Amino acid sequence: MFIINGFKEAIYLLISLDAELYHVIILSLMVSLTAAALSSIMAVPIGILMGVKEFPLKKVAVRFIYTMMSVPPVIAGLIVFLLISRRGPLGILGLVYTPTAMIIAQTVLIFPIITGLVYNATKEKGETIQNLGKTLGANRRQRLILLVKELRMNILTAIITGYGRGISEVGAVMLVGGNIRGQTRTMTTTIAMLQSMGEYSIAIALGIILLLISFILNSILLYYQQGDYR
Amino acid sequence: MKIKVSGLTKVYNNKQVLNIPKLEIEKGSLLGIIGPNGAGKSTLVKIIGGIETSTSGLVLFDGKPINSNLYQNMTMVFQKPYLLRGSVFYNIAYPLRIRKVEEEEISRRVEKILDEMDLVEIRNQKSWTLSGGEAQKVALARAIIFNPSLLILDEPTANIDPSSIAIMEKIIKKSNQENGTTVIIVTHNLQQANRICKDVGFMYRGELIEIGSKEKVIRNPENVLTRDFIKGEILI
Repeated sequence: MFIINGFKEAIYLLISLDAELYHVIILSLMVSLTAAALSSIMAVPIGILMGVKEFPLKKVAVRFIYTMMSVPPVIAGLIVFLLISRRGPLGILGLVYTPTAMIIAQTVLIFPIITGLVYNATKEKGETIQNLGKTLGANRRQRLILLVKELRMNILTAIITGYGRGISEVGAVMLVGGNIRGQTRTMTTTIAMLQSMGEYSIAIALGIILLLISFILNSILLYYQQGDYR
Repeated sequence: MKIKVSGLTKVYNNKQVLNIPKLEIEKGSLLGIIGPNGAGKSTLVKIIGGIETSTSGLVLFDGKPINSNLYQNMTMVFQKPYLLRGSVFYNIAYPLRIRKVEEEEISRRVEKILDEMDLVEIRNQKSWTLSGGEAQKVALARAIIFNPSLLILDEPTANIDPSSIAIMEKIIKKSNQENGTTVIIVTHNLQQANRICKDVGFMYRGELIEIGSKEKVIRNPENVLTRDFIKGEILI
């Protein structure tokens, strides 16, 4: 019964544009989108480079990326917290308990995921695509463009997967953000907090939003995977 | 394009898989390379095509070693071709687009080759929906659209239907006869080598055992290994 009441209240809060609720939603989206964007800018080129080039200690780098792909969010949060806390080496920047700290923590989390997935895709198809480009007369720049174009679905999948990890994690943003009302409270930290307080309506509302985001992202991915482009 | 190979070797995992002291392919040749599995045929053409490096030796194209400009005039078609993510038209047009050909000219040339290769009906079809035979035809069309001086084909008609084979062989011969394209084709199909090639080379265990006109190599081979292969005896 409380679940049904919770659902009803959740729908009401969403329709009535509850300010606190929407602040939480917008902050979550902003933090995760920014972290995904920053991660992608670094991770996509690095993943492609790792996939096509040989370099010293490449095996070590690959193993490191694979390990970091499954690092628990709370560990990523802890690492970032230790660096940016007032007693840490970057404490002077005053980043702890700010959305910026949350972005940094999520970037640390998302970066290896995107790198690893892009690396895998490049490793699988990169040489074939490069050879094809060569045999059709493409120069180095054209081959690189061809590689990115051919791997675009894999890159998109990697970015969406990374973003999904960011928007759904609790541990990292809790540690570095502090879950401060009106400042660093995200959807996931709010859900965790409200559940422990026995207040379910907002938690359910946020849960609906998170599922909706996941649904929209996967729909976008499926749409492009079905190849509606030339 | 004339090709000269000298002292070419390839070693994989301490095993020598290729040893070609000398090979000359004249400009405008249509050379078939035959031989059993593992003879080094694909390795040879991949080295000539520049997508694999040799352990030692030299390959010269019109007297020059391979360089980025040469790739503009040569191409390869593989047994399992990789088609770009896009339509048939997009795939075939790609080599012209990277050569900055005008769109109108691209359309004209692509439409012409679509017609010649019986691909008109599938011009807008996405590459990943094509059958094996269709994919091979598209790969060949893409390879010859820019009139290369050298065309290397690694078992391009393996596992495809006879009508598609006939169309592809016609286009290969036409490219050789009308444009003077030097063609090297690796094939397991002796009948195909007999149908379309002018010259044939037999490889076995990484070595070029015999090379000459098809009349000589296929019908009157001098070497006993060539003779056994032609007769259909398995060579390990």
